[in-house]
Amino acid sequence: MGILLATSPLLIVALGALLVMLVEAFAPKLQRGELAWATAVTLVGGALASASVWMVGTVGIPGAEALAPYLLTDRFALFFDFTICVGAALAALLAGGYLPEHGIERGEFYVLLLWSTLGAMMLAGAGDLLSLFIGLETLSLGVYAMTAFRRASPRSTEAAMKYFLLGSFAAALLLYGGALLYGATGHTDLAGIGQRIAEGTASPVLLLVATALIVAGLAFKVSAVPFHAWTPDAYEGAPTPATAFMAVVVKSAAFAMMLRVLTVALGAKATSSWGAGWSTVLAPIAVATMTYANLVAGRQSSVKRMLAYSSIAHAGYVLVGVAATVRSSGAEAQAAVLFYLLAYTVSTAGAFGALVLAGSRGAESVSYEDLAGLGRRHPAVALPFALFLFSLAGVPPTAGFFGKFYLFRAAMYAEGSFRWLVVIALLNSVVGAYYYLRVLVFMYMREPAPGAPIAKPMKSAYVTAALVACALLVLALGLAPGASLDLALLAPARG
Amino acid sequence: MLATYAPLFLLFAVAAVLVLGLFFATPLLGAKVPPNAEKMLPFECGAETTGSRHVKLSVKFYMTAILFVVFDVEAIFIYPWAIQFRTLGWVGLATMTGFLATLALALVYCWKKGALEWEH
Repeated sequence: MGILLATSPLLIVALGALLVMLVEAFAPKLQRGELAWATAVTLVGGALASASVWMVGTVGIPGAEALAPYLLTDRFALFFDFTICVGAALAALLAGGYLPEHGIERGEFYVLLLWSTLGAMMLAGAGDLLSLFIGLETLSLGVYAMTAFRRASPRSTEAAMKYFLLGSFAAALLLYGGALLYGATGHTDLAGIGQRIAEGTASPVLLLVATALIVAGLAFKVSAVPFHAWTPDAYEGAPTPATAFMAVVVKSAAFAMMLRVLTVALGAKATSSWGAGWSTVLAPIAVATMTYANLVAGRQSSVKRMLAYSSIAHAGYVLVGVAATVRSSGAEAQAAVLFYLLAYTVSTAGAFGALVLAGSRGAESVSYEDLAGLGRRHPAVALPFALFLFSLAGVPPTAGFFGKFYLFRAAMYAEGSFRWLVVIALLNSVVGAYYYLRVLVFMYMREPAPGAPIAKPMKSAYVTAALVACALLVLALGLAPGASLDLALLAPARG
Repeated sequence: MLATYAPLFLLFAVAAVLVLGLFFATPLLGAKVPPNAEKMLPFECGAETTGSRHVKLSVKFYMTAILFVVFDVEAIFIYPWAIQFRTLGWVGLATMTGFLATLALALVYCWKKGALEWEH
């Protein structure tokens, strides 16, 4: 019974996915919106289950260790399960409004979304290279199909094609790196690999190549520069709920995988024999990611594409924290990363939600001009949009401010020199504010050009519900961030 | 150690010499014929190509192939369980029942969605 309790977040999502799948097949006349509710309720159930398992205590559950190391139920996994389920539930609600409005209403979307979420949760709990890869593929395959969901649109197909090819390529890099790690250490479980590396018996050349391949594969998955090229096209071409799913769930799960692989298998102590290891690689990648994404995001004419570059920039900020976990005070940096991803999830899902709400059938609102005058015509859409953009820019008292604050503080006080990295990250945050505020300028200070088609916001209870939930979470995390940060501090990655 | 592979390297060397030698010897030894339409065809001595290269295959072939691969791979999971049947005991039986039930539901889904219909 212990196993059932320990894996209850995953089981709830899996059972919900099976149910939604069968209902969708056997009751095609059913309102698809009801599937959106069912999906969101399932995912909220998964989030609540992970919170309950956390309360019960992960150590006290008898039999919970039976699945180790393939599926770990430590607090690290539970924290990510919560973030992932919240992000996926928000994406499901967005889909409930978006799909019928744009005439691509098919129940398969929710099934794909639920199974992908399950893959993301497996990824967060995987403590072995084999289960890690299965989780990764379960996550990715569903998302490829969700990206191509607007079948009639060549952009959607192109996005899915690019995402699929580069995603497979990244998976192959990871797999090759994993194979070399196994060759060097004789273990596939992350803790075993870490132990063997610490013993110093493994070949340093093999380890170096394996680490390089794995870091490259992980960088692909979190879309860090120079492995980001697929991101803008995939995010722009996908239907907006799928974009939100990619930006929050896939990114969180990829960072969970990155943290666990880097700290447990290729941990700081273990890699000290050949220099500072991967943190010397991650720091320049973080700088390149932040700087490039922020500079390019300001030049976009499509808000959706701008948000795609913004998600790359945020990956850069998180990488600052990941690089800082290598130091002795790494626990704080890691907790800051966990908190940041939660704050980023609710802000980004909200921003995409507002973008969904601002458009309507045949006139998806994507460019800055589409949003001109929105603040005067439809304040109920513009106001939450502004809130989420403030959060993404890191303006207090929103979640994004404390996300950045904790992240940069942890990197600042990390032993050894990461101060220069923090300075660059702060400068980048200032650059980032430009393109977020530009949306506000268009919404509140511009009027649409005479004769230009005026985008009419859609009406949807689902999207409204998602926006209200996001707004509450953004404000709650911004006004009382301490509680969630304390929880994140209790959740270190283990093998 | 490396000497074990000596015959292999010899094979590579012979293959390289043969291919490169023939490639460069042909224009030197052969008759000089000015290029003509027949000569410039991709396969000057093959059969004439007929029809379009873009043959559309029905999606049902892919469907069948994918379903076959999926269920085939899943079936492989049953073998190790069957070998360890007594060791794994009731927990193993319960787990495998859950697995097979999920698989059966997937089959029901495919069936209901018409993925198994050949004629529509």
